[in-house]
Amino acid sequence: MNTIASQFNNNNRNHVHHEINESNGGYGGVDKLELTPTMTLPPISQPTDFLRAHTDDATNPDCKIKIAHGTTTLAFRYKKGIVIAVDSRASQGNWTASQTVHKVIRINPMLLGTMAGGAADCQYWETWLGTQCRLHELREKERISVAAASKILSNLIYEYKGMGLSMGTMICGFTKKEGPTVYYVDSDGTRLKGDLFCVGSGQTFAYGVLDSEYKWDLTEEEALYLGKRSILAAAHRDAYSGGTVNLYHITEEGWTYHGNYDVGDLFWEVKSQEKSFNNVDG
Amino acid sequence: MSDPSSINGGSALAMVGKDCVAIACDLRLGSQSLGLANNFEKIFKINDKVMMGLTGLASDVTTLHELFRFKNNLYELREERKIEPSTFANLVSSTLYEKRFGPWFTGPLVAGLDKHNKPFICGFDSIGCIDYAKDFVVSGTASDQLYGMCEGLYQPNLEPEDLFETISQSLLNAVDRDTLSGWGAIVYIITKDKVIKKVLRTRQD
Amino acid sequence: MNSTVASEYSSEIHTTPIEHRFNPYSDNGGTVLGIAGKDFAVLAGDTRQVEGYSINSRYEQKIFNVGDDIVMTANGFAADGSALIDRFRNQLKWYKFDHNNKKLSVASSARYIRHLLYSKRFFPYYVSTLIAGLDDEGKGCVYSFDPVGSYEREQCRAGGAAASLIMPFLDNQVNFKNQYQPGSDGTEKKPLRYLELDEVLELVKDAFSSATERHIQVGDGLEIFIVTKEGVRTEYYPLKRD
Repeated sequence: MNTIASQFNNNNRNHVHHEINESNGGYGGVDKLELTPTMTLPPISQPTDFLRAHTDDATNPDCKIKIAHGTTTLAFRYKKGIVIAVDSRASQGNWTASQTVHKVIRINPMLLGTMAGGAADCQYWETWLGTQCRLHELREKERISVAAASKILSNLIYEYKGMGLSMGTMICGFTKKEGPTVYYVDSDGTRLKGDLFCVGSGQTFAYGVLDSEYKWDLTEEEALYLGKRSILAAAHRDAYSGGTVNLYHITEEGWTYHGNYDVGDLFWEVKSQEKSFNNVDG
Repeated sequence: MSDPSSINGGSALAMVGKDCVAIACDLRLGSQSLGLANNFEKIFKINDKVMMGLTGLASDVTTLHELFRFKNNLYELREERKIEPSTFANLVSSTLYEKRFGPWFTGPLVAGLDKHNKPFICGFDSIGCIDYAKDFVVSGTASDQLYGMCEGLYQPNLEPEDLFETISQSLLNAVDRDTLSGWGAIVYIITKDKVIKKVLRTRQD
Repeated sequence: MNSTVASEYSSEIHTTPIEHRFNPYSDNGGTVLGIAGKDFAVLAGDTRQVEGYSINSRYEQKIFNVGDDIVMTANGFAADGSALIDRFRNQLKWYKFDHNNKKLSVASSARYIRHLLYSKRFFPYYVSTLIAGLDDEGKGCVYSFDPVGSYEREQCRAGGAAASLIMPFLDNQVNFKNQYQPGSDGTEKKPLRYLELDEVLELVKDAFSSATERHIQVGDGLEIFIVTKEGVRTEYYPLKRD
């Protein structure tokens, strides 16, 4: 019976098949060992439970190690390229840890990544992604596609699935063959290509503004303003978003920075100019 | 975060000056991270020279305000005089202690001038322990931040204008470091012949 | 406290099961603060070390001159803090052996500390880390880190037990948050400027005496490390010991 069964299981493939499998395994394996750093794990049987008990303030509000959370980030594609807008607040519980976080990570002159969820996770793995992209350029003598870059990240994240990484990120870039491209990658292992994403605790507020005004044929000025305005709406309503707005624009020339706007001033400016935010006096 | 006293958010503080007291609060009412209202005042007038602040669970803030208004009306009818701030403080304390084993989720403050126009302020824990202070009292989700600010900025015997500046800066910078407070602020300065109300223009995030 | 220690006495009968959980962390209190000036940077911290309601020491150094005119502190769980600083110092020593005594910049130190912290992402150092020094242009700089290595360069930052008391005060007095020009009716902000060293030292002393007044884990002494182009020097001031 077993001899018959073994004819049909995977162990009994022909040697060409075997060779492909081996080379794939070896290639990926060696690469990874050299490039991902070693991680210390707590010396107990369930490292993930340990981590959750000590760092996850959703399941354990008294946990000692609070990891920075809370964000609104957005990116959308339109006729002229991509607009990226983010807030700058980091909160630990109800404490506003920082109002000046840079949530757009400059992976390289053509690629940007956004940061939502664990600040360290995003910062660390997106700078790591930068080195991977550079290595790709050196190996292939060609700039990496946004699809490939985002997949390097999502594959890495997937290896750590269930270990407690927390990231919701958009990998944005422009390449000849792809045009302006936005990929959403998160710590569950999701990887989606799309025209428009908002990520973070204030995402719903940002979608509210963005969806109602978004058109493919926006001018550059309109698009940048819409990005800024959507983040402003989220900064206003969501307690865990705020601080300042950072704006970026991506075209075939790469990304350009379009400034930092303090929500404290921007809000009143927009309110008086648009005659909006009528829920607020003054 | 299902702690009842930090669901809605909000902060208040009171300070003593020279022949005057100041009491201030933010205006936010939220449901966890969602901001619901920016006109939720947490300071209530008791009489011309006594005011109280109530932070914590919004439903308890409203209910207690009504309860103290009722009790104060009864006091005025029976005694035919205005209540003294220290007397009112004891009224608050005993009202809170009645609910010793199922407390109101609130941190009240009382500020006012007594019959000799001497400043009086005090704060309470949720079951009515009175914290008599000579300088300032704080309450709410930004209480840590408020302690830091007040301890750094406060000086005794400030004139009303300077007291206003001190209490405003203390409140504003404290709530800017608390996600659940902010969204506008109100300051009252109580002097012997008038109460001045000022609405502060603040960040809206 | 959820952690329970297993009983040594097997004859003892427990009606409830003993909970065994790996708890390698404790909190040693204390607070630290860094401010960057035009051509200097300071890192200050109190010198009390606590465990629960007990005081372990009234003078325990927690800010260190790690070399190359960089000062560093890791506040929170003292064992993790000193382990991190020792690891960094050691690596800095090897860096100098391997690279002909080359000076390590503050920016590079910051990047390296991120890697030290993130390498323990799944078993973190329970500390808030600050480093201070002068950047490549000679301007003062402070870098702050969360426990797992997210970092940022800032003008000022408070960390540790009384961070929530000190930080809003610093926003107000260093970055002039919520301050406006007199007479402008709140339309014109107070312009930003670099503070002088003596102003910064006064602010630091005020911040710590305020924190000492209201936080039980802060007090005893204040040690300030000052980095200028002349090098690193320290000052000590007593704080209340109650």
